Amino acid sequence: MTALLSTNEVVVRFGVLQAVSQASIEVHAGRVTGLIGPNGAGKTTCFNVITGLQEPTSGKVLLEGVDITGKSPSKRARLGIARTFQKLEVFGSLSARENIMVAAEQRRSWDKSGFDPRAVTDEILEKVGIADVSEFMVGTLPTGTARLVELARALATNPRLLLLDEASSGLTEEETEEMAALLRRLVAEDGLGILLVEHDMSFVMGICEYIYVLDFGRVIASGTPAEVQANPTVQAAYLGTDATEDAS
Amino acid sequence: MPLKFSPRLISALVVALIVAFVVHSNWGTASVSGQTIATFLVVGIALGGIYAISAAGLVVTYATTGIFNFAQAAIGCFLAFCYWQLTVKWGLPTLLSIAITLLIIAPAIGIALDRVIMRRLRDAALVVQLMVTVGLMLTFMGITLTIWTPKSPRSVPHFFEGTKGVHLGDVVATWHRIITVVIALLVAVALRFLLYRTRLGISMRAVVDSRSLAGLTGAKSSVISGASWSLGCMTAGLAGILIAPETGLVVENLALVIVVAAAAAAIAQLKSLPMVFVGGLIIGLSEAFSSVYLNFGTDWNYAPQAIPCVILFVALLFLPQARLETGKVRLTKRTERLTKPWEAALGGGVMIALVGAWANGWIPWFSGTTFGERSAVWLGRGVGFLIFGLIMLSLVPLIGWAGQVSFANFAIAGIGAVLFSHFGGQNGSPIGILFVMMVCAPLGLLIALPALRLKGLYLALATLAFAEFTDKVIVRHPKMIDPSATGVLFKPLDIFGIHISSDAADRKAFVIFLIVMFAILFFMLELMRRSRWARRWIAMSDSPAASATIGINLTTTKMAVFMLSGAMAGFAGCMLGLSQGALRVDSFPMFLGLPLVLLLAVQGVRYPVAAFMGLVGLASFPALSEVMGNPTWLTQVSLIGPGIAAVAMAYRPEGAVFYTGRDLAGLLPWRADAREEKALLDQRTRDQDIGRDDINDLGIDRPFTSEKVAQLDRVLSIADAVDEHPMVPTTGVTA
Repeated sequence: MTALLSTNEVVVRFGVLQAVSQASIEVHAGRVTGLIGPNGAGKTTCFNVITGLQEPTSGKVLLEGVDITGKSPSKRARLGIARTFQKLEVFGSLSARENIMVAAEQRRSWDKSGFDPRAVTDEILEKVGIADVSEFMVGTLPTGTARLVELARALATNPRLLLLDEASSGLTEEETEEMAALLRRLVAEDGLGILLVEHDMSFVMGICEYIYVLDFGRVIASGTPAEVQANPTVQAAYLGTDATEDAS
Repeated sequence: MPLKFSPRLISALVVALIVAFVVHSNWGTASVSGQTIATFLVVGIALGGIYAISAAGLVVTYATTGIFNFAQAAIGCFLAFCYWQLTVKWGLPTLLSIAITLLIIAPAIGIALDRVIMRRLRDAALVVQLMVTVGLMLTFMGITLTIWTPKSPRSVPHFFEGTKGVHLGDVVATWHRIITVVIALLVAVALRFLLYRTRLGISMRAVVDSRSLAGLTGAKSSVISGASWSLGCMTAGLAGILIAPETGLVVENLALVIVVAAAAAAIAQLKSLPMVFVGGLIIGLSEAFSSVYLNFGTDWNYAPQAIPCVILFVALLFLPQARLETGKVRLTKRTERLTKPWEAALGGGVMIALVGAWANGWIPWFSGTTFGERSAVWLGRGVGFLIFGLIMLSLVPLIGWAGQVSFANFAIAGIGAVLFSHFGGQNGSPIGILFVMMVCAPLGLLIALPALRLKGLYLALATLAFAEFTDKVIVRHPKMIDPSATGVLFKPLDIFGIHISSDAADRKAFVIFLIVMFAILFFMLELMRRSRWARRWIAMSDSPAASATIGINLTTTKMAVFMLSGAMAGFAGCMLGLSQGALRVDSFPMFLGLPLVLLLAVQGVRYPVAAFMGLVGLASFPALSEVMGNPTWLTQVSLIGPGIAAVAMAYRPEGAVFYTGRDLAGLLPWRADAREEKALLDQRTRDQDIGRDDINDLGIDRPFTSEKVAQLDRVLSIADAVDEHPMVPTTGVTA
């Protein structure tokens, strides 16, 4: 089965710094894939390469086997890639409802199924659980809620592949559990492929079926949560057994 | 290496061909001899040196504080006048005057600017940053004009005026020019030394990379920003003093150096100091080349003055595309709700009623007017204010919603006025208006085109350059406005049998027509704010990266808003032409368009109603003046006022309409929600006021008071946990 998304030896260089070196990862539809690693390991840069915000120095990005490396971010959105951001990128001077409406209306330019953006917006507000704050300007919402708005906005483009950057940061414990339940529903019922960058290890281990570990831009390990946890290289990277390689 | 036809190479070829054509077709009488070449080089290098000094200051402040100082040249102008006062008026020695101007006055201005204004702008939206420095520019120009009224001509002598200078072959390089070149070189070396060899300079560069990290290493960002603003003012003053003998001590000429400095800074991509000097030289040499070898003829008389604008435009074509950056979103703590259609209709109705009643003389405005009468003079002024209001309205979607700062709309309106005089205006046909709007829409787009793929700041620079280009080249061509023509340019517009024109008898109808059109456009904009177009524009302005990742094509989205705004400005332009009857070549200077943008920004650039408030504000100056018997001080206030109001935006970034609306809502007894909201937002503003500097300094040279610690806790969102257990005794401990 072709992977929904695969990156092929992606390299990103900023001057002398190699932010991502030959990272090859795969995301499959219908399951949550995790991408973890210490700070500065290149996770967000990977996301930027996949969504087209960052041009890779070399390497390819394939969506269902089709090369999309040269495509613009907006074209990739049409092909079914949506994301959230580590640092909030909400439309702060629009209301939560308008944030989602913008995305739903935009979807009409490529999705000719004749859906009603308003109905879609209401449905997603309900699904993500932010219907009660829908009329507030997002700039005034607490960070956790604003993150949910970002998620809802991403869903409004009806993606096949959803990239979540630090989805649970800023959420309370209760909200994190709700988020996990929502993500499980999305992969199980809608068949989305989700790629997740996360610092909350219990969240990652609980929800991901497959995990890639990134350190200094390289994939140092991959496997099921259990395999990854048992991997000595991963433990070294996280605990910093070698003082010179302490990246956090 | 195989030849690659990159877009850049193609544009370079096109530009080279156009330059060759212009040079060829305007070649003057001078022959290329050793003498002319020497003259060209001497003049060009000296001029380039001055430009580079000013641009270097611009780049240093931009690089260290993130604020592009549009007031740079205006400050230089003010300082040049100070120098004149010291050396010519009071007869102090030249060196002493220079020292006082550059080492005392300039740093004082820099530090004051930094303390009072610039620190608040660090994290402000680009619109606010630009408006405040443009406001400062007008303020400094106004202050200079007020202190040194332009009634008597002044001149600053060249250094060593009267001495012979140095002979280079047949050409004399005056001491002034030699000194200029030497100073420019010294400034280059000194800046290089400062930035790479001194602790202060290295901290200044570190701040660019990461303000908080630089703070951790002990660099004090307050000292650094103060130093860089002082440095900016000193270079501005130096450039002003050096260039004043060449251009004459005239406020407009000196303040216009900003276009040149901006062009040199754009060539340097706003960061590279060596490239600033290359850029300065390119411009200086081009100007010298054109003055020595080229003769543009009477039709293009002012073309040489537009050289910097053209170079700025060309430089923009070659800048690398801006990356879509993330993590730069500023969440404004505003709460507002959308205006409902019936509220917008009511608002438009009230505007029509108010202005209609005023035009009919039903509002006894001030003593001396009789009920039911409004003088033709005042009706004529009313027409003017309403047209300015229309131009402001055209800026709301562009600047307020899409976040694209443009200073070109007044120039577009000017071109619209000229076009209307050629098409439709002369037979009073409303079809002509539609035609002009259809031309002005793509015109707005054309200006924006080179800057669409770049950062917002470059767009502002491009539009400023276009406004200057329009004034100096487009409307001065006899085919556009023929100053010797005597015929009628505009016949009265005939709308359902009602005549609309600048004739005294038609003016009341003109006012009514304009306010009705204004109200209709206002209503349309309010409806549009609820549409997907406005949502998309606002989304794009709030976060370009996120907009792109939900499938928005940023380029076409920007193009749409420029077309809309251009068409609206074109309509205003037709009215402008109609209201003036005859057109003068100097009717559309760049500096006249800026106050309009500022006025709107002060009122609140996101809100269509701000355009109405802006035009009321505009009308209030002459009205007040007449009530008070036309005192001169009020004229001076009106000279400085717009600038000061714009500077006040540093404290009230959302504009008066927003704050007034919120405060008024709080006064209504049933709006407890508005009061609570205001209290909450005020609290957050206070929390933000404890900026990063303050946190860095806390405990170092600021005492740990309980109040400061509480503020810190709120900023770090740990307030709930510590409220019950104060960590610092309430008496306060000084470090």
